[in-house]
Amino acid sequence: MSAGDPSWPRQMRALLLKDLRLELRTRDTAVAMVLFVVLAMLIFQFAVGSRGTDLTPYAGGILWATLSLTAVLGVGRSWVPERDQRVLDGILSAPVSRLVLLTSKAATIYAYLLAVEIVAVPLMALFFVRGSVAGDLGLIAVTCLLANLGIAVLGSLYACLALFARARELLLPVLFLPSLLPVVIAAAGAVNAVAGGTNDLAEYRGYSLFLAVYAVIFGLVAYATYDHVFDD
Amino acid sequence: MRASGLVKRFGERRAVDRVDVELAAGECLAVLGPNGAGKSTLLRMLATLLRPDQGALAVCGHRLPERAGRARAEIGYLGHDPLVYLDLTARQNLELYADLYGLPDARRRVDDALDRVGLLARSFDPVRTFSRGMAQRLGLARALLHEPRLLLLDEPYAGLDAAGAHLLDAVLADAVRDRGVVIVTHEVERGVALAGRLLVLRAGRAVLSERVGALDGATFRARYEELVA
Repeated sequence: MSAGDPSWPRQMRALLLKDLRLELRTRDTAVAMVLFVVLAMLIFQFAVGSRGTDLTPYAGGILWATLSLTAVLGVGRSWVPERDQRVLDGILSAPVSRLVLLTSKAATIYAYLLAVEIVAVPLMALFFVRGSVAGDLGLIAVTCLLANLGIAVLGSLYACLALFARARELLLPVLFLPSLLPVVIAAAGAVNAVAGGTNDLAEYRGYSLFLAVYAVIFGLVAYATYDHVFDD
Repeated sequence: MRASGLVKRFGERRAVDRVDVELAAGECLAVLGPNGAGKSTLLRMLATLLRPDQGALAVCGHRLPERAGRARAEIGYLGHDPLVYLDLTARQNLELYADLYGLPDARRRVDDALDRVGLLARSFDPVRTFSRGMAQRLGLARALLHEPRLLLLDEPYAGLDAAGAHLLDAVLADAVRDRGVVIVTHEVERGVALAGRLLVLRAGRAVLSERVGALDGATFRARYEELVA
């Protein structure tokens, strides 16, 4: 008898559980990302926030500039266990659709980003926003959820593309960051629209719609290209 | 498994050059050759990990690369490395692969697989704490977990001590009964002892492909040295 009938939800769950187990055991990626975001926020605070200037209108920009750099860290490390522990051939020789591999990595990156944002959003409010953002937290959370979709899909695609490249540490940020620019602009705009003092809900909705469309477009790009990403 | 005219190029160099392989269930093929002869590249093409540049390849009736997903479910592959996560336990690794292969009754299968390679007592230990030989045995358990119809082994004896090699001999003797086995090795005598058919590669080309018959390893070695010289 050979293998049973592999179902993609079971494979997805197994791959995601594996990534989370590895992270819990090694604490290599999420902890590094959280530390990075805290340090970057502190650097921003000392560099531009120590003169008593009101940075509320720029808070969204600072948040998403920091988060996009942190995302590079998470995306770059997303295939490290497979590469360092030489498991890739085992995973690739199993009857797993490349789309499932890509999606499971996107889900892992998404989870890491959420963990980072739980720390980063309060830090933004503490360092850069005059007044309270407590009433806007729900809308900021929605922005994070939408922006993470685009970042995770795009990051997962680029991480797979860079997987077999020699200069991957250089290649990944050079490819990934420029593509992320629309997400940074829209997510920063959405956060500024609700927490930057203007409270412009129409503007917020426009940016949120853009983030959703961006995620869908790159989801379709990933769907159209996934089978070639792992080709030798 | 049937492969004809397989070619794999890396840049200008042909790592595998017009190689034919045919294997039926219950047969064991040993692929021999010096370093750089193309043995591992050939095996990686059979395992669907590399796409041939030319030639036709079918595994268990599935043409590659069109039906690679179906073929993968029928293949068990053990490379130079055991292909398991060092930071997971032996059990967690096999449970992961059981899910990826969609195996029913996964817990029993994982127990049986660990028992077969003598690792049941260490099943909750991280693989990082295993010796090279133990990790290789776990790799073999992983490759056999879904009871593949085609087993592909790349230097499976590397890093095994005498007890580990003896255990692998027993597992292979059992495995070859009802499935095709391709074993890549540079150990000529062991290859001749294990396999019913031999394929010798030199610089990517097949210089010998025949049944072992009454050959013994020591006799064949002299001929092998001539073939690869």
